Formats: sequence, C-alpha cells, structure tokens
Amino acid sequence: MAKASAAAAEPAEQPILSLESDLTEDRKFGLRTLELYPDRVEVRGEAGARILRADLEDLSGVRCDSLVSGGRIVLQLKSGGEILAVNYSQTTSKYFADAAGAIEQAIEGEEIVPGETPGRLSCPKCGKLLPERDGICPGCVSRGKTMLRIGKFLAPYKSRALLLVVAAASTTALNLAPPWIQGSIIKEFSEGASQLNTLFGLMGIWAVVLLCQVGLQILNGRLMTHLATHISADLRSAVYRAIEFLQISYFDRKPVGAIASRVTQDTDRVWHFLVDGLPFFIVNGLMLVGVAVLLFTMNWVLALCILAPFPLVMMVSMIVWKPISNMFHRVSQKMARVHMQLGESLMGIRVVKVFAREDHEYERFMKRNNELRDAATQADQSWHTAYGAMTLFTSLGVVTTWTVGGAMLYQGQLQLDEFWRINAYVLMIYGPLQWFAQVNNWFTRAMAGAERIFEILDMTPETAVTKGVNRKIEGRVEFQDVRFGYEKSNPVLRHVSFDVAPGEMIGLVGHSGAGKSTIINLLTRFYEVDSGAILVDGVEIRDYDLQDFRAQIGIVLQEPFLFHGTIAENIRYGKPDATFEEVMAAAQAANAHDFVLAKPEGYDTVVGERGARLSGGEKQRISIARAILHDPRILIFDEATSSVDVETEREIQVAIQNLVSGRTTFAIAHRLSTLRNANRLFVMDRGKIVEEGTHEELIAQRGAFAKLVETQSKVNEVIGIGA
Amino acid sequence: MPSPQAPSRVQEFQVIEAPVGCFRLVTEDRCHLTFRAAWASPVSHPKHYLALLDGRDRQIVLINDPETLPKELWEALQRELDRRYLTTKVLSIVSARTEFGITYWTLETDRGRKDIVTQSLQENAQWMGDYHLMLLDVDGNRFEISDTRKLDPQSYKKLLTTI
Repeated sequence: MAKASAAAAEPAEQPILSLESDLTEDRKFGLRTLELYPDRVEVRGEAGARILRADLEDLSGVRCDSLVSGGRIVLQLKSGGEILAVNYSQTTSKYFADAAGAIEQAIEGEEIVPGETPGRLSCPKCGKLLPERDGICPGCVSRGKTMLRIGKFLAPYKSRALLLVVAAASTTALNLAPPWIQGSIIKEFSEGASQLNTLFGLMGIWAVVLLCQVGLQILNGRLMTHLATHISADLRSAVYRAIEFLQISYFDRKPVGAIASRVTQDTDRVWHFLVDGLPFFIVNGLMLVGVAVLLFTMNWVLALCILAPFPLVMMVSMIVWKPISNMFHRVSQKMARVHMQLGESLMGIRVVKVFAREDHEYERFMKRNNELRDAATQADQSWHTAYGAMTLFTSLGVVTTWTVGGAMLYQGQLQLDEFWRINAYVLMIYGPLQWFAQVNNWFTRAMAGAERIFEILDMTPETAVTKGVNRKIEGRVEFQDVRFGYEKSNPVLRHVSFDVAPGEMIGLVGHSGAGKSTIINLLTRFYEVDSGAILVDGVEIRDYDLQDFRAQIGIVLQEPFLFHGTIAENIRYGKPDATFEEVMAAAQAANAHDFVLAKPEGYDTVVGERGARLSGGEKQRISIARAILHDPRILIFDEATSSVDVETEREIQVAIQNLVSGRTTFAIAHRLSTLRNANRLFVMDRGKIVEEGTHEELIAQRGAFAKLVETQSKVNEVIGIGA
Repeated sequence: MPSPQAPSRVQEFQVIEAPVGCFRLVTEDRCHLTFRAAWASPVSHPKHYLALLDGRDRQIVLINDPETLPKELWEALQRELDRRYLTTKVLSIVSARTEFGITYWTLETDRGRKDIVTQSLQENAQWMGDYHLMLLDVDGNRFEISDTRKLDPQSYKKLLTTI
C-alpha cells in the first residue's frame, strides 16, 4: 500500500538508484533524495528521514512532468490515485527523467538499466559552483600544468622559441645599459675628469645599444607574434579535429554555440594572452629581476627601501583593477547587444519597412546604444580615475629614492652617479608593476580557456576510427535482438531483429517516436547498441574501420544540407576526384541536370550558405546526385520527400528509383504511397517491429499498417492530395 | 479575426482536486484525467489568459480573466499553477561577483536563499521589459526580477554594476 509516513530510516539496504533533488514538496530550495529499491520507491528529507514510501506492487506507472524551470515525478497508483514523489529544478531534470524510466522498468518487472550518474555541481577544491556540470573551475585551474601543456605545442617551433628567450634576455640587459652609461658620464663630470673623447665614446656605445634595442624589440615582437599565432592556430586545428571525431551523443548534449566557442573564444583567449600578456610578463619580469639585482649590488639599504612597498603596490593594483576589468567586460557585453540589435534590424529591414516600424526600431536601437554609452562612460571614467591615482605609486619609488638616497648622497654614503642610476632604474620598474595584477587576471582567463580546449582533446573519440575491417560491403544487414536508448534507462528500441538481403529495399513505417530514425542512427554507427548486435555481411559493424564503413553508406535527409560552394562542388563532396562528366551523369540520374543548366552559371552556380539560393526540391535533387556519385552500398532515405510539394516529389521519386537499384536501401517516408516499390515494409510501434511484409501483404493483413494507410487516405482526401 | 473563447465558457467546466495534488478537468462532454494549466503570456499579461491544455497540449479552454472564476475553482487552479511554474522570484541580491567572465550570485528568493552561476550575461540576463529581468543560470533555471525598481537600493546597485 502506498503511503506517506515519517517513519525511521530502513535498515542499511543499498538502493538500486539514489538521486538528489534541490526542491522540497512545497517547492522551496532543499534536499530531497529519491531512492529506488527492488520492491519500493522512497523519498528522504534533509536528515535522511523517510518522508514517502510507495511499494512497487501498488503502482501502475510513473509520470515525469516537465514543468517551467523544472519538473516533478508523480507515482500512479493501481487504485487510481496519484502521489507526488519529488519536485526538481532544471539542474537535475535530465537525471530524474532517467530515474522515472528506471521506476517504470521496475514496475513492469524489466531489467533496470541505470541512467547517467549526475556529475559535480561545485568545485571539490574551492567549493564554488562550476560553470558547467563536471566542468572546469576557472579559479582552480592548475595554471602551471596547463601552461606546460601549451608549451608542448611549441615543439615544432623550438628554434624560434629559443631565439625569443635569448632576444628577451638581451633586450632586458640592453634596457639596463642607458642609465649605466648616463651614470658613467656623470661620474666623469663629478670627478672633474671630463673629457670630450670619453663622452663621445660613451655616447657611441649608447647609440649602438639603442640600435640593438630597436632591432631586438622588432625581432622580439615578430617572434612572439609568429609563435602566438601559430600555437593558437595549432590549438584551433587540434580542437576542431578532436570535435570532428567526438561521439554524436556529445553533440546531443551540447549546443552548437557552446561547441563553437571552444574553437573560437577559448583559443582567442589563449592567443591574446600569448600575444599581449606573455611578452609583457616576460620582458617586465626579467626587467624586475635585473633591476633588483643591480640595486642590491649598488646599495642594498636603498634597494630594500625602494622594494619594500612592492607588495602594497601589487595588492592595491589588484583591488583597483578588478572592478574596472569587470566594467570593461560589461562594456563588451553591451557592445555585443548593440551588434545583435543592429544585425537583426538590418537583416529584417524589408519587414521593418513594410510594417512602417522604423521609429520603433530606432527607439530599440537607441535604448541599446544608450546602455552602451553609459557603461562605456562609467568604465572609461573609472579607468582614468584609477590610472591617475595609480601614478602615485610610480612617484612613490622616486620619492623614496630622493628621500633616502638624497640623504645618503648628502652624507657621502652614495655617489652622484650611483644615485642617478638608481633613480633611472626605479622609474623602469614601478610603472609596469601596477599592471602585473592585470596580467594575472589575463593569465587565469587564458588558462581556463586552455583547460576547456584540453578537455575536448582528452575526450574519448568515436571507437575504432581508423582500425578494424576494411573491405567492400555487399549489403546484407542483420539486426540481432537490438536494444538501445538515447538515455540508457529509457529504451527506444527493444528486441529488434531482422535480416535484409543485399539490394533489398526496406520501408520503415510507423508513428513519430516509433524508432524508425533510431534504426538508421544505429546502422550508421552514430550510436552504439546497448545490447544485441548489428551485422553487415556477417561482420559486426563495430569491427569495421569506421570511416571506411561510413564511406559505403549514403544518406538523403529530409532537410538536405549543402555546403557553401558551387553545385558541382556539392555533388562532388563524397568523391572529390570525380570528373565533370561523372558529376553531370549523377545530376542527370538525380533529375537535376535540367534545372542546373537553366541557371546562368550552370554547375558553377554558388548555392549560398546551406544552399539558401536553391529551392527545397532543387536542394534535395542535388543531395541525391551527391549520393549517386558517392556510389554507396547501403542507402538511406530519411523522409527525403516529405518537405516538398507533390509535383516535386514525383520528380524526386524518379531520381530515387535511379539511385536504389542494386543497393540495400532503407527508406523512411511519411507518405506511405512513396514506399510502394519497397520489397518489404517494417511497421514499427514503440520501439518494436510489429508487422512485416510487402505493401499488398500488409494491406491484406488489415493490421497496424492498413490502419495507417486508411488514416492517411482520409487526410489526403480532405486536403485534396491523391493517395 | 477569431477571438479567444469568451469567459462565459468558464461556466461549462470544473476542476476537481481529488486526491490532494491531483486535478481532473470536467467539461460538458468529457473528463480530462490529465490536463495542464498554462499562462498564454506570463510576462506581459501575468494574470490573464489562462489556457487549460489536454495531454496532447491542445487547448481545451482559454480563460481571459481567471479571477472571474468561482473562488474555489480559481484557488484549485492557482495551486496547480504554483506547482507548474517553478520560476523563482528574486527578492534581493545578497552578492554578485564576476570572475573570469563568469558571474556568481547569491540570491534571496521566494524559495529561500540560493547560489547560482551565470555565463555570458548578454545571453543569460534577459530583459523581458524595461524593468523586468530574467536571469538564467547555467542549467537553464529561471530567476525572475519582475521589477528591478522594487529591489532594495543595495541589491539594485549590485545588479546595475554586474549586468
């Protein structure tokens, strides 16, 4: 009997599944734990006390309600009632959907396949919330390790990197030379031994130093730019290459924008740091060390006085620059909003004009523009204020030098030339010092970006990309008791078995969600089966070389995807070395040749981004031509004609007939009439094949397929389409 | 132009809550065992245009002004709406800190205190009106500030210096 109770905790029995929610029954933030045992479902409160128990034998089902910003699991009782088991926020909704699937399986007495284990929400080191579940904590990135890993990308540019180190050290040494020369001139003068020859000699050395300085500065800049751009380009290529071979399930989980930002934004962060931050850090860091050594050599007491305020300067600059850095971050956000507003208005300018909404759009633009103005004013004014105040620190070193050094000079403890040199060196280090805190922020962001890049590089790619059986496929396809779910606990295919002979055409029929596309996704190895096996020509498909295997499969999708380029380039996509005659032959077979010729540039017509300059039917026929030229052994049509009108569909059907002959073909079609030519039809329902046979056989059976045909005929009559 | 169904339709259905937490919608011709209530325009018309949808998300009835419903019925529906809309209302901002391009918030809300983290405020701090702000955390949870002017001065300042 299902009941709510506040009874004590059960004896130590391990649940099959235990999942934490962040919402209580009254939807306040708080901990609740849903537990599934072999015979019951329990919900526990913060202290582990049981607040709900429902025996499986009393349950008829479970409902997982998707709510706004979260969801809830409701247990359905055989007696007709329902019990709210647990509320949850969006943070855990995916896992509770899995849990509901597992409870359902337990109620039905099926084997329970546990879902994905929820990852970490907060950093185990600092406790801060993570920007992504199981993601990188930007504050705790091991910067040293990450930097070393970026350093490995230096390997192809070893000689340049070495030259850069030498050039940077030389630049530092040369930067220290002019004050030394000035001091020597003053010494000559103060000792009364001033001779013009000595002066000109020293000035000559200064001129050489100056020339070398300029030369080295140019060399430094060029080397650093070369290394930074090449390393970031290599990083971009590496992460793009890794993304190409990631499992399709990764793309299901992550939005395209988030994946693209790994290739662009994260590598950009590394690049900016390498181009701007690292040179600043290296040159000024070496300078700091060099000057400190010189100061201690010349007068250690004065050196201590000068360097004593360093920690204070660093601390204050960190405090001052952090909010200003955030303000500039805000400015870039506001700027992005202005860009978005502008882009939207310009792209939709025809709509704006037609509806005479220019004033409205102007007001929207002005609002964004004013936000940007205000943010930029605040940031720039704060920067100028802080910068002005920070000059105090630059003066601090000079004041210390003149106060302590001046006194030493009066007392004869310091020579005038030494005083001059020290004064000049102080100016060289106090200025850059205030920016070191900024570099730290820069560095941290770049390392967090690099970590995200390495996270992708370290991911497991699709299995057996380059290993395995490599042979020409004949086309026999067998599914042996296949079970699969996109979420493991929620199977979309159950016990699916069939055998398809080479050259046979199979039509997959059924309601949406029946599992038709899943069969295609498994056959193309976008996903791996949970249990059972798929064999092609008697060999398990996971034993094939993945790329070689896929190269022998052709797919024509409902929404054909064309790349920006010419029609000929798109047809040639699967066979880049095809001759122009082969391209035309494929287009003729695809019933595309005539409309291509009718275009002013014929096969050189640029199709636009995603084929935007072609109609739906034209794009589809180009994609069929592409498949024909590719010459696959197994061919898949996934609703290839459902998004075109009846006339265009007839033309495409002709193209399809030319394509399927002699190839094993799987076709999913919404319009059942288009599958008349199939050798066999598989009728699917809730992940199982419920009927199988030819069109005529299935009609005669008067089962599920006959019902589908009847429903569609009625609909077609209503909308005036011939069945 | 077709107009939404008139409030008079209100007389032709009733919502039964039995047992507690389980709702049934009974219209003239049938009893809907599963239905859900959904605001048609929760931001611009927060208290009007309430749709009752069947299990396939088809509209059964649209109520222009739910407050004209019999009191008990409206209260029952409100309980269902409370369950359905888990959007959290922000009462004050305890802290807001941006580090490394990520913003960490501590919020006092109608569901209790909550720490959240947001990425890219350009996308995840959405202005629904001049003073109506929706913060979306990294998991897509919604935290609503229905009128930024009604925040206490300190919270308002923290908000303005963050987004």
